Amino acid sequence: MSSTITETHTQHTGADSALKPERSQLGLLRPDHSKSVWISWLTTVDHKKIGVMYGAMALFFLLVGGFEALVIRTQLAIPENDLISAERYNQLFTMHGTTMIFLAVMPLNAAFFNFLVPLQIGARDVAFPRINSFSLWAFVAGALVINFGWLLEALEMFGLFNASGPTAGMNDFVPAMGWFGYAPITGKEFTGAGTDFWIMGLQILGIASLTAAMNFVVTIINMRAPGMKMMRMPVFTWMTLVVSLLIIFAFPAITVALGQLMFDRLFDTSFFATAGGGQPILWQHLFWIFGHPEVYILVLPAMGIVSEVLPAFSRKPLFGYAIVVFSGAVIGFLGFAVWSHHMFTTGLGKVATAAFSLLTMAIAVPTGVKIFNWIGTLWGGRVRFAPPMIFSLGFVWMFMMGGFSGIMHSSAPADAQQQDSYFVIAHFHYVAIGGIFLAVVSGIYFWLPKITGKMWKGNLSTYVAILSTVGLNITFFPMHFLGLLGMPRRTHTYLAGFGWETYNLVCTIGAYILATGIFLLVVDMIRCLRSGEPAGDDPWDARTLEWSTTSPPQVYNFARTPVIHARDAHWEDKYGPESRHTTYEADDGHGIHMPSNSWMPLIASVGFIPLGLGLSLMQAGVPFMGYMAIFGLITIFSAVALWAIEGPGGYHLHPKEATA
Amino acid sequence: MYTPIQPLFSLFRRLIVASGFISLLILLSGCSLDTRMSTFVTKGPVAETQYNLFMITIWVTFFIFLAVGGTYLYVVLKFRERPGDDRPLPTQSHGNPLVELGLIGVSILLLVIIAVPTVQGIWYTHDTPNTEAAKLGNWYNGTALSEGEEDDVLTIRVIGYQWWWEFEYPQLGVTTANEMVIPAGKPIHIELRSVDVIHSFWLPRIAGKVDLIPGRANSMWIQAGDDFDQWNAKLEKQNIDLAEMDLQQDYQDYLEDEIHNYYYGQCAEYCGDSHARMLFRAHVVGDDEFSDWIDSQKQGHNAPDGKSWEDWYAAYDADPDLLTGDINEGLKLFIGRGQCSGCHAIDGNPRTIAGVAGPSLTNVGERHSIAAGWLNHRNEDGSIDDDLQYANFVKWIKETDEVKPGNLMWWTRLGNGLGQMKEPLNDDEIHKLSVFLQTLK
Repeated sequence: MSSTITETHTQHTGADSALKPERSQLGLLRPDHSKSVWISWLTTVDHKKIGVMYGAMALFFLLVGGFEALVIRTQLAIPENDLISAERYNQLFTMHGTTMIFLAVMPLNAAFFNFLVPLQIGARDVAFPRINSFSLWAFVAGALVINFGWLLEALEMFGLFNASGPTAGMNDFVPAMGWFGYAPITGKEFTGAGTDFWIMGLQILGIASLTAAMNFVVTIINMRAPGMKMMRMPVFTWMTLVVSLLIIFAFPAITVALGQLMFDRLFDTSFFATAGGGQPILWQHLFWIFGHPEVYILVLPAMGIVSEVLPAFSRKPLFGYAIVVFSGAVIGFLGFAVWSHHMFTTGLGKVATAAFSLLTMAIAVPTGVKIFNWIGTLWGGRVRFAPPMIFSLGFVWMFMMGGFSGIMHSSAPADAQQQDSYFVIAHFHYVAIGGIFLAVVSGIYFWLPKITGKMWKGNLSTYVAILSTVGLNITFFPMHFLGLLGMPRRTHTYLAGFGWETYNLVCTIGAYILATGIFLLVVDMIRCLRSGEPAGDDPWDARTLEWSTTSPPQVYNFARTPVIHARDAHWEDKYGPESRHTTYEADDGHGIHMPSNSWMPLIASVGFIPLGLGLSLMQAGVPFMGYMAIFGLITIFSAVALWAIEGPGGYHLHPKEATA
Repeated sequence: MYTPIQPLFSLFRRLIVASGFISLLILLSGCSLDTRMSTFVTKGPVAETQYNLFMITIWVTFFIFLAVGGTYLYVVLKFRERPGDDRPLPTQSHGNPLVELGLIGVSILLLVIIAVPTVQGIWYTHDTPNTEAAKLGNWYNGTALSEGEEDDVLTIRVIGYQWWWEFEYPQLGVTTANEMVIPAGKPIHIELRSVDVIHSFWLPRIAGKVDLIPGRANSMWIQAGDDFDQWNAKLEKQNIDLAEMDLQQDYQDYLEDEIHNYYYGQCAEYCGDSHARMLFRAHVVGDDEFSDWIDSQKQGHNAPDGKSWEDWYAAYDADPDLLTGDINEGLKLFIGRGQCSGCHAIDGNPRTIAGVAGPSLTNVGERHSIAAGWLNHRNEDGSIDDDLQYANFVKWIKETDEVKPGNLMWWTRLGNGLGQMKEPLNDDEIHKLSVFLQTLK
C-alpha cells in the first residue's frame, strides 16, 4: 500500500555474471560461475542466504530436540516406566539441553541477526562476509561432532559397528552428563566417548559463535548508513550488539573450561579430577560465568523481536526507546554478576550467597522495565491481532510468568528447596518456550514474507498460537508443583506414592499438545513458501528500514545508500513530515561492489570435523586418530591461509534505477 | 495488507477460560500438598524458614501479577482494533520518564520486601545452632559417646556413593546406610562428603538441599521438629494459656504425634546412570529410642543358632557342611561363594568387618527399604512386610543390574561382581542369602 516511495529504486536488473572474476589471485577457480545451486549456497557470502541456512538448520535441530523431549516425557508419563533405559534417558536429557541451547536457539537468533541487521542499518552486507560463511559452517561442523554419537549408536543397533579391536576403548557414544557437564562426572572414569564429542563439539560451536559475534559488533559499529545514529537503530539491532558483546566476554570462560577438561581427559591433567587434587567446583564457576550470560544471549534477541513487533502492530513507537535499550545493556552487564545463583546449594558461604541473592533480585528490575515499556507501547495504540502480534502478546504474558518464578529462585534459602527440582524446569521452560520460542515464532511470522516474498495463507497461525500456548502451560505449570512436592530433575523414573503421578501424566499430555502446535507451525511455513500470493514490500505497515527493500531483498540490499533522518525510518517515510523521510545518496556511476563467493570458509570449517572427532577418538584409544586431528588442523590452517591470499575478488553491479 | 483475524478475540477469551479451568482442575483433583517429599508441609525450622521465604516471594509476585497482568489485559482489550475501527493514527509518543522512574522505584521497593528476610534466612539456615539443650551431653543417655563430645551437637557424616548413602555417627562410632535414624527436636550438624561424583542431600520436609562435592568439605544442619523453646514461642504467639498446661508433657506429645515419623529423601544432583534410584530415608525417633538404636548398632549381630562367633567359625573351618539350614547356608554364601563380605560389613561378625565398598548391612533386616530406597517393604502402619522384604532381597540379588543399572555390585573393576561370576548364583542360593539377610535385625 505504501511502498510507492521505495519501489522506484530497487528494481532488479539481474546480476551480470560475466562481470564476476573467474579465478582468484592464486589462479584457483572461484565458485561464482558454477551453475549448481548447491555450490552457490555452499560457497555463498551473502548474509541473507547465510541467514536462511542458519534458520533452516536451527529449525531442524529444534525438531530433533523436540523429539528428544517427547521421548523423555513419554518415559515419565507413568511411574516406574521402562520404555527406555536409564542410560538412554540420560543421553536424551543431555542432548535435549545441548541441542536446544546451542543448535536450535542460538542459530535461530543468528539467522535473524544475519538476515536483518544489515537491512535494518542500511548496509550492503556484514563487515566480513567470508567470516560470516565460516561461522555458519563451523556451527554445522560442531553440530555434527556433538551428534556423532547418535550415528554410532544407530550403526551399533543395526549391527554395523561394535566397539572392539582398535575401537575397544570406546563406550557411551552419546554424552550423558547433562548439558552443564559438572565435573567430575565428565572424568574418564565415569563417562566415555560421548563426553569427548561433547567437549570438542562445544569448542567448535564456541569458535563459530565468537567469529559471528565479532563480525556483528564490527558491522553494527562501522557499517550503519549515514544518519543511522546509534540511538536511531532498531531495537533488534541494539540487542544484537549487546548479545554479540556478551558472547565475546562469556565464551572465553567456557573455552578455557572445556580446554582444561579436554586436557584432564586426554593428557591426565588434574584441573577437575579429584584423584589428582583437582577441584570440581572450579568447573561450576567457569561454566556458569559463561552459562548465565548465555541465558541472556538466548533471550535478548527475543526481546528485540518483540520490541519490533509490538510497535508495528500498535502503530506507535516503542515506549521509552532509550530506557529499553539501556535496560537491555544493564541486563547484559548484570548477567555477569549473578552466575553463582546456579550454585546456591554448593556451599558458597553466607556472604557470597547473600551477595548473589541480592544481585539476582537486582536483575529483575531492568527485566521488569522492559515489560512496563511493552505495555506502555500498547497503551493508546491500535492493537492489531495479526499473526506476529498474537505471538508477541503471548510472549509478554508467558515471559512474565517465567520472571516470577525467577524472583522466587533469587531468595537463596527458598532456592535450596527448588534447586535441581522440577520447579526449575518449569521456570526456565516458561522463559525458553513461553519467552524465546514464542518470540522467535513471532519473528518468523513477521519477517518470513520479507525473506521469501510470499505471504501467509489462511489463519493456521491462530491454531499454532493456541496449541503452543495451551500446550506450554499444561506441560510446565504442573511442574512447579512437581518440584515443590520434591521431584528431582534428571531422574529417568520415579516411584509411585509420592503424589507425582497425576502431575507427570498431565505434563506428558501437554507436551504432545505443544508438539502438535509446533508441527502446525512447520505446516504453515511450508504453506507460506508454496503460497503464490506475493507479500509486497511492506505487508504489515511496519516501521523499520528493512521494510523499504523489496521482498525478498535484492542481493545488493539497497540500490543506493539510504540516508536516515529519524528513528523508525520507514514509518516516517509513510506518515512522517518530509524532513524525516529517508533520502538516498546520489549515484556516482561506480555501482555496488559485490564480493566473490569462496570455497575457503567451507573448507576451513570442514577441517573441524576430523580435528574434533580425531581428538575424541584418540582419547578412546583408537589408533592413528592423533593423525586425523593433525590432518584436521592442517586443513583449517591451509584453508585460512588460502583464504587470506586468494583476495576478495568481487565485481560491480549497476541496478537499473541506480544507473538511470 | 494483511487482514487481522476476526475470530481471534473470542478464541483468546476461550483460551483464558480454558487454561484457568485446567489449572483449577489440577489443584482440585486430589493432588494433596501433604505428600512424602512435600516442601509445603514442613517439619522443622530449616524447611520452615525456607517455606516462609517462598511464601513471601509468592505474595510479592502475586501482587505484581495482579497489577501488571491486569494492566496488560486491560490495555490489550481496550486498545484492540475492532472491525470498522476508524480511530485516527495513535499519537507517536515516545515515553514518559516520570512514569518509568516511578515504576523502577516501586519495583525496587517490592524487591526489598524479599531481600531483607532472605538475608536473615541465609544466616539462620547456615550456622548449626549450639544451644544448651542441643548439646549431646544434655540429652543423649546411651553408651559409646566419645570423650569430650558432650558439648557438641550430634554430628552425622553423610557420604555419597554411586548410588547409595553412608551415614556415619563419628561421635558415637556407628555407621549405617540409606536409612538414617535421628532424634526429634535436636539440631544435627551434617558433614557432606562424596567419594566419586557430586550428589546432593535433600530431605524436603526437614531441610532444603546441599551438595556433596568430592574434594570439598560441605556441611549443613537439619532439625526434625521444633525444639522446646521454638515450640513454646509459637504457643505464646497463639495466646494459648500456658499456666494450665503441663508444658514438657505437651511438648513430648507434640514430638510424638507430629514429628516422630519416617521421612523420604533423595539425591538431587545428577550423578550418573542410576541417579533416579539414589533415595534415602530418615527415621525420626525419640531420645530413648535413638539411644537404643545406637546401642543395637554398636552391638552388632550374633552368630546363627545362638552360637558365639568363635564356635560358629570353629565349626565352619572344621567342616562347613555340618552347618545346615537356610540361615547357616546363607551366611556361608555371604562369606564364601557369594563374595558379599568383600564389600559389605555386618557388625559383630568378625570376618565381615573389612567391607567398605558397599553399604553396611548391620541391622539391614530392620530397614524399611533396600537398594537405596528403591525397593520398599514398609506397611502403612510402619511395620515391615516380611514377604515383600524377602521378595525384595531376591529381586535385588538376582537382578542387581536391572534394579540399579551401572552399579558396582553387578560389575566391579576387580572382576568379582555378581554379573561376572562364572557360575551365577542359582535361585536356591539366592533364597538362602535372602533368608539370612532377613535375620539381620
